[in-house]
Amino acid sequence: MASSKAAAMPLIRAALARGVGFLGFWLLLAGPSLGQSTATGVTTDLAAGLAVGLLAAVVATWVSLRLLPPAPGRLRLTALARLARHFLWQSIVAGFDVARRAFDPRLPLKPGDLAFPTRFPPGTGRAAFGAITSLMPGTLPVGTDDHDRLVFHCLDLDQPITAGLARDEALVMGVRRNGSDRDA
Amino acid sequence: MPEFLLGAAAFVLGTVALGLMRLLRGPGHADRMLSAQLLGTGGVGALLLLGVATGVGAIAEVALLLALLAAFASVAFVSGIQRSDGRGPPSATAPAAADSPGEHRRETA
Amino acid sequence: MRLALDILTIVAVSLGAIFFLAGTVGLLRFPDTLTRLHALTKADNLGLGLVVLGLLPQVSGPLSALALLAVWLLALLSGSTVGQLLAGKAAVPDPDRAPTLTPGAGASHD
Repeated sequence: MASSKAAAMPLIRAALARGVGFLGFWLLLAGPSLGQSTATGVTTDLAAGLAVGLLAAVVATWVSLRLLPPAPGRLRLTALARLARHFLWQSIVAGFDVARRAFDPRLPLKPGDLAFPTRFPPGTGRAAFGAITSLMPGTLPVGTDDHDRLVFHCLDLDQPITAGLARDEALVMGVRRNGSDRDA
Repeated sequence: MPEFLLGAAAFVLGTVALGLMRLLRGPGHADRMLSAQLLGTGGVGALLLLGVATGVGAIAEVALLLALLAAFASVAFVSGIQRSDGRGPPSATAPAAADSPGEHRRETA
Repeated sequence: MRLALDILTIVAVSLGAIFFLAGTVGLLRFPDTLTRLHALTKADNLGLGLVVLGLLPQVSGPLSALALLAVWLLALLSGSTVGQLLAGKAAVPDPDRAPTLTPGAGASHD
């Protein structure tokens, strides 16, 4: 009983944080039209709009807690910023890489599959790693093989893909300390 | 500046229309789905350009809706195929999806 | 200042449009589903990002600019997730695909 009460605290904290985040996001998207209704002084419109936003935020929080239970471990903002910078730069490189190959009359591709033994256990961390690597130059995660390795489809097997993936993995892993290492 | 943005919107829309040739050619269902995905991103880009060019703010909301619809269309496509196959995907997200109901049950118990 | 911002808009939006074109060209020219998916996700996300970057100086206030960035972030998130899902789907053989129409289907597993 005591343990379930202690376990409820992070859940409530996560629910509050996510709810505030979703409401803020909704306000951001609906902001311009809400601003219009305050300018004209139609306050019932504003109240109705805010009620819809609040309802949307509550439903979004509920769905997110169901689909993505809060993981233990702390979010490290400096690591997140480093990952964001790396991600932005690499997605620019990826766009140029693909554009160069698409416009080249000789169509220089050497596609193929590559297995990468990831340190992420199946779950949220691995899914995030997959989503991020799908926008990195030349890699696209297509699934896992029989040895629990992630399989990547690559545009050009001659490029140093494994080294890049290892770097991405280390950066993603740093974002949540202890979070992704838990045993399922 | 509005003229330039309108021209850019028309150009992006043109590339989307060209990409829809993949919808006609296929050959697989997944290939055709790629066209829908292109319509999602390209359409969002064209609509955002159009919205700023004309100064009609509501167009940005249409863009948002289009982005959501494109994502839902692809998810529906993928999950629909899985169900008719009767076997799980090799996707990395599958274990996460399989885990969460179990976690949920543990919390409610 | 105004001129510099307008130049930024023209350069970024033009570059973005070129990446949209690259995505379409890749979608039409690349030999199989998975390589086409590469072209689509990577080129189009960069194209949309550049278009959004170019539009930022043209909107009225910081709130509208944030909303633009939010749309781009959502598109990025859904694009990468959906790309991964479609890739998982495309990697298993498609039972609905007519075998006579797939000369390049085996190329991805060489």
